Amino acid sequence: MFKDSFDKICWLLLIVLIISASTLIYKDSNVADSKRTTASNKSLDRELANRARMELIAKLYAPVEVLHKEGNNPTALLKLDELIRKYPAEAHGHILQGEILINMGAFDEAVSSYVAGVKLNGDYVDAKSPLSRRVEIQRLVDEGLKTISKRASSSPDNSSLAVSRQKINYLKSRLAGGCE
Amino acid sequence: MLRNREFWLVMTSGLLLGALGVMLAVWGNPENSGICVSCFIETSAGALGLHDNQRMQYLRPELIGFVLGAVLSAVAFRDFKSRGGSSPLTRLFLGIFMIFGCAVFIGCPIKLLLRLTAGDMSSVAGVAGLIAGVWIGLKGLAHGVELAAQSKARSSGSLLIPAFFLILLVFFMVRPGFLLFSFQGGGAQYAPWLVSLSSGLVLGGLAQRSRFCITGSIRNFMMMGLRVPALWGLLAFIAAALVANMVTGRFNFGLYGQPGAHLEYIWSFLGMGMVGWISVLIGGCPFRQLIKAGEGDADAGLVVIGMFIGGALAQSWGIAATASGVSLYGKISILAGFALVAVGSLLFRQR
Repeated sequence: MFKDSFDKICWLLLIVLIISASTLIYKDSNVADSKRTTASNKSLDRELANRARMELIAKLYAPVEVLHKEGNNPTALLKLDELIRKYPAEAHGHILQGEILINMGAFDEAVSSYVAGVKLNGDYVDAKSPLSRRVEIQRLVDEGLKTISKRASSSPDNSSLAVSRQKINYLKSRLAGGCE
Repeated sequence: MLRNREFWLVMTSGLLLGALGVMLAVWGNPENSGICVSCFIETSAGALGLHDNQRMQYLRPELIGFVLGAVLSAVAFRDFKSRGGSSPLTRLFLGIFMIFGCAVFIGCPIKLLLRLTAGDMSSVAGVAGLIAGVWIGLKGLAHGVELAAQSKARSSGSLLIPAFFLILLVFFMVRPGFLLFSFQGGGAQYAPWLVSLSSGLVLGGLAQRSRFCITGSIRNFMMMGLRVPALWGLLAFIAAALVANMVTGRFNFGLYGQPGAHLEYIWSFLGMGMVGWISVLIGGCPFRQLIKAGEGDADAGLVVIGMFIGGALAQSWGIAATASGVSLYGKISILAGFALVAVGSLLFRQR
């Protein structure tokens, strides 16, 4: 690989390229962040987008939170329905819906809402997420697993129980972690 | 057999793969995914910006370790042999579909056994599928289905994959701005990087020496029965993982609520069946392809590239299954994969 002049030119070119690339990286690492020539830091961009999203969620769902705190749950649910229709890919509405429904004692409907929310955004089962509802979902699963057997034994022909069990198992599986 | 050096190498590989597979999850990797080549490829493809699932982006040091460990071992034992030229494009596509199969099951054959030894009974369908797939692949081989023969490559194209993984290691250390890392989800769960990297290096080196592979062990057992050391390696893997799961309190027997699992058994069976069949055709499971790519096999290198493409597409196109089940695209990808393998079997059959 070092036989003739063509080989030597190739080696020389390789050395020049490595030195040039190293110099460019070294120079770039020494300039201020604002003047960097490299592409923007995607992690930073993502963090900013997440913060913006959190602010948007807080603003968007603030009226519902107020209604919920005032105990006006039916109106809060109506408002949520409207928001869920307007932003179908946003999970937060479903999670809030679940929280309100559980307060109203509608257990199966609450489970369905949480499932819909977690399917749209897994952040709600992550312990570290600012959106985390892990504790609430864990409580819901524990409660569900306890009561569902009792309900099944009292009314074995109830087909909706199987669906509820399936949903609770889904939440349990998401809480258990793993890759997804 | 007890005096056979190969037997002990395979046993050590199996034991360490099983034990580290559990321990890496204890040290921070996702549940039951201490080692999962397909998951690692999906998260690494995400880290490189090849897909946009923000919960599956992390350049897994284990993956880099597997390849570089195999390179170091192959060089140290003068086993690095440049070879290639066996139906490269076919292998690339088979690599893509192999990851689709894993994504539909949620895990590679290593994770399949890790799930099983953690008490996840929903993985039994995958075990049956993998065995059936290997069996069909063997039937194909017996009827003359095989890809074109490899040739010893004169060029150094075989160095490209090791070089690629070396660059990935540099990326991991330097963390350039274009590299993506998850803040939430499976991609944000990882063991300390030095532990992950060194585990990968040790397992890569050992697997290179022993040629240990999950589907290869099943294949060899079907062909030669109990005489083959590979089967004992497989049993050692299962025993080590089972003990580690029990000791660390991770054994949770049952069908429901298992981590990273779904209850669509037919698709689990078919997904792993496709992986088994493809593995026999291309000579090894996803893990083995990484090891072979590290010891100079350019064909395995193309499978690895295919696996990265597959990992990216599995996430971008919604092929990967979740706890809620298998998507329509996932199901279609399995059917398309089987169709590809069937057509390939017709075309590559020596008549």
